[in-house]
Amino acid sequence: MSAQAVMATTVTRPQLDAGAAPWRRVPLVTVGIVLLVGIALPWVLVRLDIGTYLMTLLILFFVQAVVAQSWNLIMGYGGIYSFAQVALFAVGGWTSGVLVHSLGWNPFFAILFAPLVAVVAALGIGLPTLRLRGVYVVLLTIAFHELARVFAVTGPRFISGGGYGLVTVQTFQFGNAVGDQRTIYLYYLAGLIFAVATFTIWRVIHSPLGVAMIALRDSETYAVSRGINQFRVRIVVFAISAFFTGLAGGYSTHYNGGISTTIFDFPRIIDLLAMIVIGGWGTFGGPILGAGLVIGLDQYLVALGDYQTLLLGLALAGIAVFAPQGVWPFIRGLYDRYLAPEPPPPPIEVNPAAAHETTEEL
Amino acid sequence: MSTQFVQALWGGILFGAVYGLMALGLTLVWGAVRLLNLAHGAIFVVGAYAAYFIVSRLNLPILVALPFGVLAAAAFAYVMHVVFIRPVIGKPGFDNSTLIATVGISIAVSAAAILIFDPTYKVIPPLINGNFTVSDVQITKQGLLVVGTSLALFGLVYLFLTYTRLGMAIRAVSQQQEAASLMSIPVERTYGIVIAISGALAGLAGVMLSPFFFLNPNSGFNPMIQALIVTIFGGLGSVRGALVAGFVLGIFESFVEVYYGVAWAQPGVFFLIILMLILRPNGLFGIGEVRRL
Repeated sequence: MSAQAVMATTVTRPQLDAGAAPWRRVPLVTVGIVLLVGIALPWVLVRLDIGTYLMTLLILFFVQAVVAQSWNLIMGYGGIYSFAQVALFAVGGWTSGVLVHSLGWNPFFAILFAPLVAVVAALGIGLPTLRLRGVYVVLLTIAFHELARVFAVTGPRFISGGGYGLVTVQTFQFGNAVGDQRTIYLYYLAGLIFAVATFTIWRVIHSPLGVAMIALRDSETYAVSRGINQFRVRIVVFAISAFFTGLAGGYSTHYNGGISTTIFDFPRIIDLLAMIVIGGWGTFGGPILGAGLVIGLDQYLVALGDYQTLLLGLALAGIAVFAPQGVWPFIRGLYDRYLAPEPPPPPIEVNPAAAHETTEEL
Repeated sequence: MSTQFVQALWGGILFGAVYGLMALGLTLVWGAVRLLNLAHGAIFVVGAYAAYFIVSRLNLPILVALPFGVLAAAAFAYVMHVVFIRPVIGKPGFDNSTLIATVGISIAVSAAAILIFDPTYKVIPPLINGNFTVSDVQITKQGLLVVGTSLALFGLVYLFLTYTRLGMAIRAVSQQQEAASLMSIPVERTYGIVIAISGALAGLAGVMLSPFFFLNPNSGFNPMIQALIVTIFGGLGSVRGALVAGFVLGIFESFVEVYYGVAWAQPGVFFLIILMLILRPNGLFGIGEVRRL
């Protein structure tokens, strides 16, 4: 036996770890069925009495889920405690709104600028903030949120609209479509944004960038010592998150025909946070599930008034402490048991609660 | 001295005392427990509403209501510790869980305040009435009392931390939690005590400030944000830093407000803190802790 042959037999290619190839666990059939249902759904819904109402709910769900996913990307996966997400949403919304309202652009063209300006704003926040950690990020992003609010209320008239925000911004027009027909088109547009955002975020999470980000969250010292540029990873992820948030903001402005300064109110942040926490903090499907749950339950619980806020607050605190991964692991388990093509490999979603802590002590 | 100057200076001293009082509680909890307590504003509100309840529903004097409000706030903070903080102490993911839990508690408290009372503004009577005038600026005796109380409490907390057994235990736990527990210091109980003390300080601030700022279910939010800024400006976990930074930021804000208009006060403070974080990331008296949440 020659030396070469020995080499050839001993060097075996390592088995690709299931955690490194997550796409194997989501079969094309599942994705295809979800897509088909999503495309066919409006044509079924228009035949129902409450179809239009359900479609508007779904549009709301798409928009909120995009923002929640983007937030979860930096907060749950990246470990960056940014509270600027609603402000970035507003930046996107205002950009598109002002371009249409003041310059008379076509909404379909103006909305392309919403994510770009949001990214610029995110870089502006990120440059001083993302070298710091934890509590400093919380404070500075809340500061950005407050500054954005003050500017939106007291800024120049073409932005503030005299303190109320932008009203009577031109909405999306699809030829001569009106009524249900128009709602269907709006649904498709929102669905498209949702699908693109979801796919991109999924790819980011499983890309080297995403792995670096999770490594930084779980053990900063170790990740940095393995050559990960912490600041660069964070700012890129922050920008990606801002991109889709801004896009959702632009869509929302032209869907509602305006954007109000009440967007900056604290309950908006709480709603988004609730989606992430209830669905599953730091999991891929958590924010989507959470957005669905929060929007769905909202329709029933709205009659409770302030009791709803009370319950929401207690639920947030309870879930954060006693079930940090939210509802998602349960759903995930069901999927793995009944639908996954292979037997479930060890969980790839790294539980933040299992994070390897950096211990400076000793 | 011009009226404007005296007005700005007095406003600044008053703000500084208030911010310092709130920041003292935050910084104690941060220093000992490593907990960013975003429910601090809610505890403030609990104390203030408890006092309001005593005064308006039971018609008792404010001097009776004050200790009741302070105790209620301390008790609330302690219960919060037992239910939501203690279960995750020492577990990985402590930062995430407590951050969200304290946000959740703070919205639950403001919702509860709306349900029990109502969302309108409430007035708590001042502890002492009357005022006097210095170059046309009215200085209320309640304001002087707030400044005096704040300074006295800083002194008390400092002495408590330095000379008493319990204070030493708190410092030991904040420096080296594992070593402290090896020296048979009950770590979790110490945490509870620190959080209760911090709650009492917030409650006191709530009762004493509500005559100035009025009371509504969300009135704790702004003082908490200001206190957070003060805490970071002074250096997280530093009692001395909270005192100095409270007055520096309070006077700065007040001068900006008087000379440039109210709209610039908040942005001005934010710019100052961003500048501070660039120049001295650990704050005035902080010790190399920028990387820690």
